[in-house]
Amino acid sequence: MTLTASRPLSRAAGAARAGRPPVRWPLAALLAVLSLLTVSPFVAMVVVALSPAGRPTVPGRWPESLTLDNLTRVLSSTGFVSWTVNSLVYSVVSVVVILLTASMAGYAFAKKRFPGRDAMFWTFLATMMVPFQATLIPTFVLVNELGGVDTFWGLIVPTLANSQAVFLMRQFILGLPDELFDAAKVDGASELRVYWTIVVPLTRPVLATLGVFVFLWHWNDFLWPLIVGQSDTTRTLTVGLTTLRTEEMQLSTLMASATISVVPCLVVFFLLQRYLVNSIAMTGLK
Amino acid sequence: MRHRLRDPVTGLLFVLPVLVLFLIFRIFPTLGAAGMSLTDWNIGGEWSFVGADNYARLLDDTNFWTSLRVTLVYAAVYVPLTLLVALGTALLLNQVVFLRGLFRGMLFLPYVTSFVLAGIIWRWIYEFDGLINGLLAKADLGPVAFLEQSALVLPALAVVSVWKGFGYSMLILLAGLKSIPGSYLEAATVDGASPWQRFRRITLPLLKPTLFFVLVIETISAFQTFDTIYVMTGGGPARATYTLIYGIYEHGFRSFDFGYAATWGMVLFAIVLVVSLVQRRFLDRGNT
Repeated sequence: MTLTASRPLSRAAGAARAGRPPVRWPLAALLAVLSLLTVSPFVAMVVVALSPAGRPTVPGRWPESLTLDNLTRVLSSTGFVSWTVNSLVYSVVSVVVILLTASMAGYAFAKKRFPGRDAMFWTFLATMMVPFQATLIPTFVLVNELGGVDTFWGLIVPTLANSQAVFLMRQFILGLPDELFDAAKVDGASELRVYWTIVVPLTRPVLATLGVFVFLWHWNDFLWPLIVGQSDTTRTLTVGLTTLRTEEMQLSTLMASATISVVPCLVVFFLLQRYLVNSIAMTGLK
Repeated sequence: MRHRLRDPVTGLLFVLPVLVLFLIFRIFPTLGAAGMSLTDWNIGGEWSFVGADNYARLLDDTNFWTSLRVTLVYAAVYVPLTLLVALGTALLLNQVVFLRGLFRGMLFLPYVTSFVLAGIIWRWIYEFDGLINGLLAKADLGPVAFLEQSALVLPALAVVSVWKGFGYSMLILLAGLKSIPGSYLEAATVDGASPWQRFRRITLPLLKPTLFFVLVIETISAFQTFDTIYVMTGGGPARATYTLIYGIYEHGFRSFDFGYAATWGMVLFAIVLVVSLVQRRFLDRGNT
């Protein structure tokens, strides 16, 4: 590329120079259409969920009246409520345990020296390349042998070995200055105290981000809960939803169930969108 | 630092919970998968060593070759389509200032929901009396049997996954676009380069590492698709959506033929490993 100084400034460049980007209305309109198309399946879902039962909604036509009946009916069915509670247990327990264990391990990997540290860390990383589905069968057989099928521990514990979480915590703590930890040690603080009063508060932003991701991973998880949670005692919401068949129930009831199942995701999304967006851009967490 | 050398035990104690979890639930099953693929392990927990029999059976299994073809065709539709949509929306978001945050949020929304939810909504959208056919009927067209025709069903499923997943790649690409210095593009504009030339000669080359990262990530997720297939087609019609993972699930949890199912898992492992290694190879070359 060669710069020819004699060429006159184009109008766009002139406007950019003036610090006022030109409003590109055709592009903005295109973006608006794509955005609306993307959310339209959700809108359709909610409209059907709010339509009077009996498959009255001719697709593509707005219903004549809206009702909350479907939502209340779903919320008063015992199966649905226990699936929701199970999903909450699965997600919340996993968030708490993963944040705790991953931040402890991340701290040790970043700031401690012990025999086999690096070999251990790289082995953890290498397991990221093994897709969970490839080890699905032996993991299930193991949990089955230990009597964990259709129990909460069988559902939760195998999902707690999360290399992404350990890696993220280690990378973040690596960037914290050594002096912080040394000063506390000089003051005679115990290791647990250093962890609890220095590591945890300083890593709060990463912990929050990781917590959101772990919650969404577990809330939306399907294959593992499908094979381990075999009855309503441990069945999660995603698995429960797939047992609802449109042949046996009203479409509006199905969509009402789907709508309620997505509420926690939406809460997370609206409260923490900026957070999610930034952390994906910066860490590539998926 | 002295205190760190003095005390190797605390380091180990802090790692211990994760170490135990990893040894039992990641490393042991990984080795177990390889071991089980050499046995005829069944639901009763009985097994005997059968050597490479499962692999020989795999090579003779027409369902296996079908599933490999289905998985590759699915990836060949899904990956380019996701990249195209993600790049297009990222470019638009990078250009348009008007209500950018709102549009970004709307485009990203499906990503935070589950594939099961996506499958449930889109199964209805594709149905005979569903949303699309309802709209087509207004125009006196259709109905189209999206999920009942072998030729249409894989693209139809790919569209669902693109809708659900493109927001992730869009955000990664948008971050890549933001890191391109504005002065490069401005200089090219001053130079009289058309928007297409600027995209082709500046944006695209500088975005290449990001595009490659996204390509690898999306290829791996294409090979791991299961939830939407389970919800929408159950592997049908006539095995037209019978992917590798669906094969693992069916052999493991419908026929409880664990040894053979583990063998299918080893194939998935091999494919993902090759994709990951290719990525590392390219990234290393890009850094030197």
